Amino acid sequence: MRTIALLLQKDLRVLRRSPLLLGVLLAYPLVIAGLVGLVASYANAKPRVALVDEDNLPSEITLGGHTFRVERTIDRVAEEVTLVRLDGNEAERQLRSGRIVALLRVPRGFVADLRSMARSPRLELETTRGGLSVRVTQQVQSLVYQLNRQLEDAYVEANLEYIRLLIDGGTGRFLGQEFDVLGLERAEELLDELPPGPRLDRIREFVRVASAALAETDDALRATANPIELVETDDEGRTWVLSAQTQSYALALTISFLALLLAAAALAAERDEGVLARLRRGLAGAGELVAAKASLAAAAAVALGLGIVLAFGAIIELGGVEGGQPWARVPLLVVGLALAGAAFGSLGALLGALARDARTASLVAILAVLPIVFLGLVPREVAPAAAYVSDFFPFAHALRFFTASLFDLEPLNAAAREAAWLVGLTLLFCAVARSAVQRLS
Amino acid sequence: MTTLLAALGVSHRYGDRTALQPCELELRAFETIALNGPNGAGKSTLLSILAGALDPTSGRVESAEQVGWAPQRPALYGKLTPRENLRLFARLDGVQPSSTDLPDRPAAQLSVGQRQRLNLALAFLGSPRVLLLDEPTASLDSERREELWARIDALRAGGGAICFVTQNPDEVERANRVGWIEDGRLTLP
Repeated sequence: MRTIALLLQKDLRVLRRSPLLLGVLLAYPLVIAGLVGLVASYANAKPRVALVDEDNLPSEITLGGHTFRVERTIDRVAEEVTLVRLDGNEAERQLRSGRIVALLRVPRGFVADLRSMARSPRLELETTRGGLSVRVTQQVQSLVYQLNRQLEDAYVEANLEYIRLLIDGGTGRFLGQEFDVLGLERAEELLDELPPGPRLDRIREFVRVASAALAETDDALRATANPIELVETDDEGRTWVLSAQTQSYALALTISFLALLLAAAALAAERDEGVLARLRRGLAGAGELVAAKASLAAAAAVALGLGIVLAFGAIIELGGVEGGQPWARVPLLVVGLALAGAAFGSLGALLGALARDARTASLVAILAVLPIVFLGLVPREVAPAAAYVSDFFPFAHALRFFTASLFDLEPLNAAAREAAWLVGLTLLFCAVARSAVQRLS
Repeated sequence: MTTLLAALGVSHRYGDRTALQPCELELRAFETIALNGPNGAGKSTLLSILAGALDPTSGRVESAEQVGWAPQRPALYGKLTPRENLRLFARLDGVQPSSTDLPDRPAAQLSVGQRQRLNLALAFLGSPRVLLLDEPTASLDSERREELWARIDALRAGGGAICFVTQNPDEVERANRVGWIEDGRLTLP
């Protein structure tokens, strides 16, 4: 242990005296984490969808006493996509070239069907075969759902007009035809003028029950149109960028790059400086040298990880974000940072021993870390094989440890499981790296 | 005389290439051995094996003594100052660190001669009885060269033993015995 401590102390001193290297090691993973975040956010970018209006939608449509400004209604409901108005030919051309991912066509007769309120008007959707088509279909379904919600009040109001007409009587219009309706109330007045009798009593009872039932139709009709209503409220919860998951990704990504590169370069540097041979003369064993590099990576991971957690926490606290930063979980997080750093450090030491010189080791570490990270990002449900391979690298375990620490109500079980994986991987990589260092000497 | 260090049938191969043929070498108290030979003959390989810095492919090295080693290319940490280098290696070796008059700046910023002096200072750490020096006077000025020979002579006079590699005929004359290595084959009277 004393030898490991001495070598670790030396490595930390060397690191402190390399401000450029230290700066790059700190900045690079943060830049990569930011860039990956940006790329990931592309998944949330609005796809371009063409709106082909073959029916010349009017600027306003009045339905059931409700007036809709068409453009504003479409803008309000089309929050998930960017709607671009195009003529049919141009839209088809852009769909083929991939400039738009879908084409939403308003066919002729749409407005007439809408105004008739007797037949459902139809919208037509064409999508590309690309990966976004499923998402766009879902978004257009959502758009139609939201349009329907906008229209449902008008439809309910129109139907209620007919109900009121049945109760009160009067003049109405349907499918362009005007008609007079007696109405249940006036029917009751006419019934009073007829000679009494049991058959009349039955008709009078029917009119009474029908009037009472139709009077209750308002709420029932609204409930039928919207059996379950989702009430959306804005809250003060964390924005995406501050979420526990984002913190976990930032921590795991940063530590993967930092620890792997640092340990690989530090071990290879021992050989570059010719010191490895001197150490081998009974001053430090291969295992102690590898353990020192893993410890260096763990120490750097804890320092940088805590910095990231503090930065996130400060932003969350200053922003008054509901829930705040889970400060009580920081000690658990520190354990995870140290274990993840050590696991990546031992893997880095192995790469450093195999690569033999610091420049090659750094390059190999960068080449190795990217697939390790991306393997860890592939969901198990999407590619089980990738997930199984990823289990033999520290990234996915570190990510799950951090997510559990920051997010789970009961984090200890998940954290313990991932900690066991990280310890196991550290021992495995240390053993292989030790053997590689012995051969290197 | 007492044997302080012995190489018994040591050889070394780098892949398919034989760097050192099996050889025997005994380094006795009060003795200085000079190893000479053309470039790439295997001198540094033999010295590294004697120092325990390189595992022999066959054979073994026996020594009950503290052995100091100065490789041909200074083996030290460039980001540490001479004092820090001396202190670190002394603590790793469990011996007292020695003082130095070298400038207090990172070793990478020292001159070639200063780095060689630090390399030699590391070999003398812990006052070993056996010294293995690979071209020790390279890059040293004449004053430092004389200082080094004075220390080597003092060590030998005190019962120690020194084996050094050199290409300099004048230095060869300082040795009791001279070994010649060519194509990995050692000839030592």
